[in-house]
Order: sequence, then structure tokens, then C-alpha cells
Amino acid sequence: MRRLTLQLLDHEAAARAARTDPGLTRTRLLQHAVVGGGAFISGGILLGGLPPLAVGARSPEQDVRILNLVLLLEEMEAAFYADAEERGALRGELAEFARIVGDHERAHVAFLRDALGARAEPEPRFDFGDTTSHPDRFAVTAAMLEDTGVAAYNGQAVNLTKPVLKAAAKIVSVEAKHAAWIRDIVGQPAAPDATDKPATERQVRAAVTRTGFVKAAG
Amino acid sequence: MTHLTLDQVDRDGALREAGSRLPRKRFLGLAAGGAALLGGLAAPAGAAKSSDIAILNYALTLEYLQAAFYTETERVAAVKGQAARAARVVGAVERAHVAAFRNLLGRKAIKQPSFDFRGTTEDQQAFLKTAVAFEDLAVAAYKGQAHLIESDAILAAAVSIHSVEARHAAWMRHLFGIRPATSAFDESKSKAEILRIVQSTSFIVARPRTRGRGGPRFTG
Repeated sequence: MRRLTLQLLDHEAAARAARTDPGLTRTRLLQHAVVGGGAFISGGILLGGLPPLAVGARSPEQDVRILNLVLLLEEMEAAFYADAEERGALRGELAEFARIVGDHERAHVAFLRDALGARAEPEPRFDFGDTTSHPDRFAVTAAMLEDTGVAAYNGQAVNLTKPVLKAAAKIVSVEAKHAAWIRDIVGQPAAPDATDKPATERQVRAAVTRTGFVKAAG
Repeated sequence: MTHLTLDQVDRDGALREAGSRLPRKRFLGLAAGGAALLGGLAAPAGAAKSSDIAILNYALTLEYLQAAFYTETERVAAVKGQAARAARVVGAVERAHVAAFRNLLGRKAIKQPSFDFRGTTEDQQAFLKTAVAFEDLAVAAYKGQAHLIESDAILAAAVSIHSVEARHAAWMRHLFGIRPATSAFDESKSKAEILRIVQSTSFIVARPRTRGRGGPRFTG
């Protein structure tokens, strides 16, 4: 549990630094992110110490709450990549990554909104600061968002009804591929551990809050 | 579909595998850790349902296949550079998965089959192509089983391995020079489909070619 929290916090620290530190060099950004990777490696083998993941009997009502949680993450990702494309500061493979992954995230948002129908929560307003206008900050933030997406979906697997789990499983591996891709682009370990740590809803919501990207409820 | 499948793995011109020894001395720490992970998770569910046991043994088969492939690649040492590093890292992880499943299954664990990778561990491009196919296959396989798993503990472990296999798939694709994530949704494959594909590769051979614990004692 401590390890998992540490991992999320490290990502948040990297994201915060990416947002606020004007003198941040590529090396220091990567150091921030690599600390996260290190936590993966050292903590990864201790799944025995996981926080309890199951929160209650599976039900359609619980599905709605969980789908709204991952909808928030998908909306944040989609908005992040759209913002990066709009600002046009990315070149080469990073630009390709933003374009392709942005497409995927928009498809996930559409899928989740369709599944939730009238029960989908409104999209909040986001402000990504200058994380979308500097290639290095973009890369570190993208890795943080994708890793968080993987942890969020994995953490909810035991809480979803089976049909919804089946659908969510089609998305989580794509998030994991995004995470590995961006990590490999910036020379970080693409798959730093034998298992991906799951995160609880509370941990995910706290991580979202600490990014500072959510400016107002929709 | 541009997805590689094992059917497409090139088996022509394959050099014969030099031996069937699969060294295990490295990364024992990681393997032991992996075992602790799943063991800890499943500790309360000592008596897993028979359907879950079957799923675990199915997953173990695929992990055996992957672990042996990367281990042999590392031993043969024909693969160089970033791909060699990936083979080392991913191999350690797959061995950890094997150890974890074996630990969890105890005496119910199926035995490791014998493999003949038909030269794919001895050539850079053949290695990467096969690795991509293996990882895509594993992702589709875990995805096809998740909703069938009865035990929450086993499900939590399986999904946390599923996404790691997806990371491996993207990593190997990137190294091979193809797009790491090709569509917004990954499709699953049934156990029957997966086993048919595995069989079509002829990588699993009926019986061990040698039963010796080591390689040849003398080579000249």
C-alpha cells in the first residue's frame, strides 16, 4: 500500500514539477519520472500488501460509479492530447504519439459516454498549464496519465459486473500500450515490473486532484 | 488487420536450436518475489475452483512458452542492443509469472513442455517478430479469461499481469519498428483460438530432446 501510494505520488511530483518549475531540465524531469519507475520495480513484487480492492457487491449502480471514474481519466487524457496537438509544440514521434493516442482516448470517452447514457457525469474543464507546450513535460505527464489509467482500470476489475469487466479489459491493455510507448520514447523502462499495481478509487481521485489539471466541475 | 499472429511467424530457414537447456540461475530474486506476490494474494483462497485452476494452468502454459523463448534468446546471445535488453527484462518478468503461477497451483501445476523455437531466438528480426506475436497473443489470452475467473484474488492478479503483457507488446512493437498501439480497443481471443495458434507454430514439441541438466560437457 505504501509502495503504491509512493508510486502515484512520484508521478504527481513529476507532473507538478513539469507544471510549475520553469527551469526544469530534461534530465531532472526524467529523474522525477524514473523515481516512479524505481518504485514500480522495488514495490512491484509485494502484491501481498495491496489495499483491499473490492468495495462492495457487484451491481449496475456500482458499475456506473466506476465507469464515471474512468470516464474522468479518459476525458483528462483526451483533453490533454487535444491541447498538445492544438499547441503544436511536438515534433516527430511525440507528435505522432499525441495524435494516435488522442484518437484512442476520444474513442474511449465516446464508448464510456455511450455506455453510461444519461448517467454520465458532465466533463470538467481542464487546464494543463504548459505541460502540453514543452515536449519533455508533455512526455512525463503523458506517462503519468497513462500509468494512472492502467492502475485505475486494474483496481476496479474486481468491482465490475462481468459484462462491463469484459468491455473494460479491451481498454486497459490499450492504456498499458500507450504507457509503454511513451516510456520507451523517452528512454524509461517501458514495463518496469512483473505486475502493474492497481489503485483504489480513492487513490485515483486523489491523484487526479493533485495533478491540478481539473479546474472546474463541468 | 496488420496484427501479427503466430501463424505468420517465419519458420523457414530456421537454424536448429542448439540445445534445450533453459538456465534459471539469474533473476531468481525476481522470480521468488513474483511467487510471493501471487501467493500472498491467493492465500485465503486455498481451495480455488476447478475452473480457476484450469485458467491458471492455461496461463501458465503461455508463460512457460514466453519465459523459455526469452531465456533461450538471452543464452544464445545472437540478439543485440535494445532488443537484447528487452529480452533480458521481459524474460525475467515472464519467469516471475511462471514462478508465481507454479507456486499458486502447487501440485496442480502442469509441467513445463519442451520447446523448439526453430531459430527465432537466433536472429534479431525473427526474434522481434516472434516476441511481438507472443505478447499480442498473451494479451488476447488474458483478456479472454478475465471475466471467467471466479476468485477475486486471482482476478486481481491476472489483470495486473494482463496489462504488463500489453506493455511488453507495445515495447516489442516499438523495437520492431511498428506502431505500438494500433487501435482504441484490443480484442480478446478464446482459449481454443489461442491454443490452435500456439499449436500451429510447432514451438511446443512432444517430448524433450535431451533430459540432461546441462549442455554438452565437451564440445571438442
